[in-house]
Amino acid sequence: MGSEFDQYLSTFIDETKEYMSTLNEQMLLLEKEPDNMEAINEIFRTIHTLKGMSGTMGFSNMAKLSHRMENVFDLIRTEKLRVTHENSDLLFAGVDLLEKMTDAISTGGSDESVDVSQVLSQYERILSGEDLEKTGSENHPEKGEKTLQKPKEETEISSDSPIDIPNEVIAVLREGKVSGHKPYYAKIKLEEGTLLKSARMYMVFHKLEELNSEVLFSKPDVEKIEDEAFDREVEIIFLSKLNEAKLVKALSSISEIENVKIFVLTVTNESGEEPMNETEYTEQMNDKTNSEPQNLTEINRVETSPEDEESNAKRPQTASSKLTRTIRVDTEKLDTLMNLMAELVIARSRINETLKKYEIKQVDESLAQLSRNTSDLQNIVMKIRMVPISYVFNRFPRMVRDLARKNNKEIQLIISGQETEVDRTVVEEIGDPLVHLLRNAVDHGVESTEERMKQGKPSTGIVRLDAKHEGNNVVIDVQDDGKGLDRDRIIAKAVERGLVDEMSAANLSNEEVFSFIFMPGFSTMDEVTDLSGRGVGMDVVKTSIENLNGSISIESEKGKGTKVTIRLPLTLAIIQALLVKVSNLVYAIPIASIDSTLNLPTSEIQIVQSREVVVIRGEIIPIVWLKEIFQLSVDEDKENIHVVIVKVGNKKFGLVVDGLLGQDDIVIKSLGKLLKDVNEFSGAAILGDGSISLILEIANIVHQNV
Amino acid sequence: MGKRVLIVDDAAFMRMILKDIVTKNGYEVAGEAANGLEAIERYKELKHDVTTMDITMPEMNGIDAIKKIKEADSEAKVIVCSAMGQQAMVIDAIQAGAKDFIVKPFQHSRVIEALNKVTG
Repeated sequence: MGSEFDQYLSTFIDETKEYMSTLNEQMLLLEKEPDNMEAINEIFRTIHTLKGMSGTMGFSNMAKLSHRMENVFDLIRTEKLRVTHENSDLLFAGVDLLEKMTDAISTGGSDESVDVSQVLSQYERILSGEDLEKTGSENHPEKGEKTLQKPKEETEISSDSPIDIPNEVIAVLREGKVSGHKPYYAKIKLEEGTLLKSARMYMVFHKLEELNSEVLFSKPDVEKIEDEAFDREVEIIFLSKLNEAKLVKALSSISEIENVKIFVLTVTNESGEEPMNETEYTEQMNDKTNSEPQNLTEINRVETSPEDEESNAKRPQTASSKLTRTIRVDTEKLDTLMNLMAELVIARSRINETLKKYEIKQVDESLAQLSRNTSDLQNIVMKIRMVPISYVFNRFPRMVRDLARKNNKEIQLIISGQETEVDRTVVEEIGDPLVHLLRNAVDHGVESTEERMKQGKPSTGIVRLDAKHEGNNVVIDVQDDGKGLDRDRIIAKAVERGLVDEMSAANLSNEEVFSFIFMPGFSTMDEVTDLSGRGVGMDVVKTSIENLNGSISIESEKGKGTKVTIRLPLTLAIIQALLVKVSNLVYAIPIASIDSTLNLPTSEIQIVQSREVVVIRGEIIPIVWLKEIFQLSVDEDKENIHVVIVKVGNKKFGLVVDGLLGQDDIVIKSLGKLLKDVNEFSGAAILGDGSISLILEIANIVHQNV
Repeated sequence: MGKRVLIVDDAAFMRMILKDIVTKNGYEVAGEAANGLEAIERYKELKHDVTTMDITMPEMNGIDAIKKIKEADSEAKVIVCSAMGQQAMVIDAIQAGAKDFIVKPFQHSRVIEALNKVTG
């Protein structure tokens, strides 16, 4: 379609994705609780919105499918169709197709590339009534029906629609009845000579908002009201659960309002509502699904009770303003913002550093102010980049359901802490590792139903996914109550592979034994299930987590279950590092990988198997001289050496440096494309004095030199 | 027994005008304050029914003062006093919890209407 639509495309995609996750969520709920009216309504609303959105964008395939799904849900909503296993599978299939189309669209393709004919024809079958329960629902009044509400004194003046109401609003009004809201029309007139008219009108909107009412539409629109581009009258349409008398009373407490007229609206139902594509759908809509008469949408004004008549004199009416609270921002802009912020922090420290030398009292205060401001700013920028981890978690209930069904297991996924916020880079990266862990838990952790019965466990297995903040980390647990890891088996495999000898294996702690499954290729040497199924690609999981500067650990008890804990820094752009001196250069070591630091006499270095090692608390730790690796000038032997003990996986290594300079927050800068083959460094950081420090990529340094 | 009003304005002149208006219409002045910080202090000590709050004041502006007062007493009744052209700030004040606003130069009837509505 025309380019005017293109600019809406990214918003369309973003929103559609959100709706897809709502759909999945609510569908799962509905499957569990087939009578959950709230879920049904939520799904209906969501699909309805999707239909409207996709139609507006010209994605007719998507519109067609969602239209059919909406029809099916309308049957469910009006209790003409019950949710069963079979039809919920069919509805899930529809959701999947919608998702596919969204993906196709977001990657530049078209919704037409997805074949919906099969699913559509199955919907047709349902809609044609084959599956309908004939239980009494036929006797219902026309489903086209329901005026949203029926005040006793209602009079219809259908010929006199109060204002032109956009179709979207009508659609919302119609849905309002579902949630128990009544639609109202109000005309509010300010007193002659009212000052600050828009602030006064704002009070009306504010009042309505306080009363949990929702303003859907106003004439003139909100912008015009804000610009005071109106005379004295404003007309609004809003939803409220309160009755007219209460609304009138509430609004009449506002000053400078000459009078308020309030009417309850009746919205007659159905089918005329498509704002777009009206003609395209007319034909389909005449099918059996909508066997009711095709009423055109009418909004009828209903004069309310006498009580309200009297209120006309000086009663305002409530509505809540629907001012925009959030905006969507291109993530690239956020990255740029973060980057600029980092530059600012660096510039600040440089100024600080420089001015320290001169001790100018006059600038101290403003400098302190600047410091505070930049810190606050930095915090806010970080917060802006944070998103709830639910973005990742949302797709898991569906995945676990599908996996469990495939494996013929009964599994309940319990998610907690999904509101925990993490940096968006973390959200982008953490998905795959979690998929892996959950798959393991479902496929191999939780036993089959029979097996569980045999062991006296509840037949439904439980998989928990939990996220929480702990200091500057976010901790994610994936836990199952399945069979747990089999220590003996893992040891047997490890011995077989020569990773450990039988003697020392017996002394290993559980943690050490379980860590074998993180070894590359460890599990592929044998049938997966032989190792309680764990370990498929666990090395990949571990690597991804470590790439995020995080760590992963396993606890398990045979027969009771397994818990995998992932620990990640809240943000990846700024890390804590230990600055060390080697020769006359400064390097940064991420605090996350440091175990401890030591100062040792050179004489304590020993040679074991022609390797230099130090022995610390009985532990033999290989050491690496950074200045040799970096080929820096070696000055004469000193009596003492500084050793930074780092952890790579479960192994410890010592890095010999010339001095420890202290701990600092550093902003990671990429080394750029030219240096992409340099793998000893993960990046560089600009220090307070303006000099540049390279950030050590510990795992690579150790692997290459030990 | 007239309802008691706390008048907050940095200009003594404006306080005087307001005092005049309210006392002539059956209200009683419980106290005065010249900025937001003072207003908060007074608010704690006084037992009064309603506060009129200027927006632009030194030390602490009216909007911040309303926020603080609302934190301490969510039922607090505050009428914000504004000049022409301060529409955005009035809206901020309402968001912060002000119950009504009056615009300078004050019309007696409006001031009283506001007081009546808010205390009524």
